[in-house]
Amino acid sequence: MKLAEKPDILPGTVGEGLAQRGICRREFLQFCTALTALLALPPTMTVAMAEAISKARRQSVIWLSFQECTGCTESITRSHTPTLENLIFDLISLDYHHTLQAASGEAAEHARELAMKDNFGKYLLIVDGAIPMGNPGFSTIAGISNYDMLMEAAKGAAAIVAVGTCATFGGIPKADPNPTGAVAVSDIIKDKPIINVPGCPPIPVVMTGVLAHFLTFGSIPELDSLGRPKSFYGETIHDHCYRRPFYDQGKFAQTFDDDAARQGWCLFKLGCKGPVTYNVCATTKWNDGTSFPIQSGHGCIGCSEPNFWDAGPLYEALSMPISATASMLGTAAAVGTAAGAAITWHNRSTKAAAKAAHEKVTVQELIREDK
Amino acid sequence: MSATLAKGLNSFKEVIDAPIASFFSSCVHCGLCAEACLFYTETGDAQFTPIHKLEPLRRVWREEYTLLGKLGKLLGLSKPLTDAELTEWEPLVYDSCTLCGRCAMVCPVGNDLTYMIRKLREGMSSSGHAPEDLIGATTRSITIGSPMGIKWPAVLAQIKHVQAETGIEVPVERAGADYLVLMSSMEIINFPEYLSALSRIFKQAGVTWTLASDAFEATNSGIQIGASDLAREIVSRIVVAAERLKVKCVISPECGHAFTALRWEGPNLMGKPFGFEVKHILEVLDELHKAGKLKTKGKDKRPLTYHDPCQIARRGGVVEQPRRLLSEVAADFREMPDAGVMNWCCGGGGGVSANSRAEPLRLQVFKHKITQIEATGVQTLITACANCRIVMEEGLEHYHMNIEVIGLTELLAEYLVEDNAP
Repeated sequence: MKLAEKPDILPGTVGEGLAQRGICRREFLQFCTALTALLALPPTMTVAMAEAISKARRQSVIWLSFQECTGCTESITRSHTPTLENLIFDLISLDYHHTLQAASGEAAEHARELAMKDNFGKYLLIVDGAIPMGNPGFSTIAGISNYDMLMEAAKGAAAIVAVGTCATFGGIPKADPNPTGAVAVSDIIKDKPIINVPGCPPIPVVMTGVLAHFLTFGSIPELDSLGRPKSFYGETIHDHCYRRPFYDQGKFAQTFDDDAARQGWCLFKLGCKGPVTYNVCATTKWNDGTSFPIQSGHGCIGCSEPNFWDAGPLYEALSMPISATASMLGTAAAVGTAAGAAITWHNRSTKAAAKAAHEKVTVQELIREDK
Repeated sequence: MSATLAKGLNSFKEVIDAPIASFFSSCVHCGLCAEACLFYTETGDAQFTPIHKLEPLRRVWREEYTLLGKLGKLLGLSKPLTDAELTEWEPLVYDSCTLCGRCAMVCPVGNDLTYMIRKLREGMSSSGHAPEDLIGATTRSITIGSPMGIKWPAVLAQIKHVQAETGIEVPVERAGADYLVLMSSMEIINFPEYLSALSRIFKQAGVTWTLASDAFEATNSGIQIGASDLAREIVSRIVVAAERLKVKCVISPECGHAFTALRWEGPNLMGKPFGFEVKHILEVLDELHKAGKLKTKGKDKRPLTYHDPCQIARRGGVVEQPRRLLSEVAADFREMPDAGVMNWCCGGGGGVSANSRAEPLRLQVFKHKITQIEATGVQTLITACANCRIVMEEGLEHYHMNIEVIGLTELLAEYLVEDNAP
């Protein structure tokens, strides 16, 4: 039976859209189960989520792209076979997305203004890309500076999802010397709930998962100190990496083409940032669960972490100094030695003084006269 | 002439050496030492955590020998130790630590907490915070010659008894003998069978030995109270006698801390290597046995177990010798749980047995020894330390246990093959 024939399918809802596309309830429930698991919600939430999503009015979404490479959009759309993730993404009402929308020029901007007016206070604002705070002309859309467009769109947004490392932490545009004065969304918007979904780009299902959570509960998921959903960014890649046993055994690849590398040993010494990167790459993987960087033989570069772009060479092990030069090390060693020698000298004189002050203890001196 | 706080604080500064500094800085606060300490396991009282007992010394180390501590002291952020604090710590340092060294065995970073407590006691004693009874025992050791106030005539009287009983002459002041035999006060007063067993075994083995009239006492209260100046004086009597009599070896008796005092601390206290060897009586007996000079006949049918004295086994390394000797004379030898280097202390070592204030606590923690003994099901307990022996006898008496405690030397003598038995 088609969902559309069911009496509880309301017009204009996600459920109706699914039914029109021939998605049966079983498939939809499977999708919801997967999402529930991904979001680390209790299994009992699957049905609730299915109900909520199928009955939800198509959520108005405005997607703004600033200083970015469109990789985030590529990520969320890149799927060779239409998956449910893509469908549900279609089933939101994506009112403005200048890469994906068919309209252009004034018609496109009109769609954005209309959506902002009609859904004021309710629409979800997705932002990818950093905002230049230097010259406003560094990045404009339809003659409007990124900053102005963001501030205007943010006013009526129910919540903001910062997608990708540029929007969440500044990303590559912010890399030293940061010529455009790029900042993250959270640096300039302080009065709206912001969900940070970092990654360069983020994993598609992580983006759709966050949207599904918002559709289901009408609220933002539990976030960590960097504003990232804990269900996706709660643990490090290292914690779940299939190469972790090699790390524990101290088996490391020394170069990318040695025997150890061929045997799939740990890439820590080749600069893998997995131990300090919080993301689900190792479990969710990419391209429909095909693989992830470490599996394909390259260490994690930590793309979902703040400052990954300036955090030192990608191919130096984490414990190696990232900026110390030989002369710095030499100076540090000399200063350390001198300080150590000074303290030792002081300690020795303290002890020598104590020794000199020692009066031979006799049995009479075991007793306190003033006691 | 009095103990003062200033002297104590100076002592703390003086005793902190490289090992102590590295021990304090490497402590990871894991608390494993608590689980190894008899006083914690039997009372569940966290104040008995071994490293906590060292708090006064740790504070001095921090304030005097660490950069942050020095800065803190300069800025007036830390307060110097007070008499009140030392008074509060006194029972922790003296009543609830037997210097047994079990905590040092489990410390994951290898801290020798016993060494530190021993050094901490230097400052406690010179600031007048040693227990009254230990001060008394130390004073008697220095002024009379023995912590129990025994003088040479008392030993002479015992020699007469032993000679009458065994018909063997007990040599006194014999120059050039192989061995200089020492005794502990406990053996002179409570366990005269030690001397008689020894004279029979040595006669049979054909070795020459002697007692010295000015160095018969092996115990060293200076070590227990923590006063190196006094410990040195007590050790030096033995060194002088051994050198005068030109013996090859000095035998430490069945006494735990006497062995530690003479064998390990002795040369350090004297500041030079000894010109003679120091061996525990069990080491000597084992050597004689190996050389075929100590022959026994028959075996004790009673089920027996052996209590490893901490200073002999854990701190002294004499673990295999008593077992080899026991296997010769025991038909049914049973090891108690945790036997050997991890054995539990009797509860009375390190001066605790001499400290009457500690008695209730000592009897409370003795329960662990009872559990160990009960696990073996024996009625006869062998040991090789007169102090362990008297502490266990008292403990067993207190808990109404009908268990006999015997010294190993004495047990061996019972089964000795003698050519012309009297």
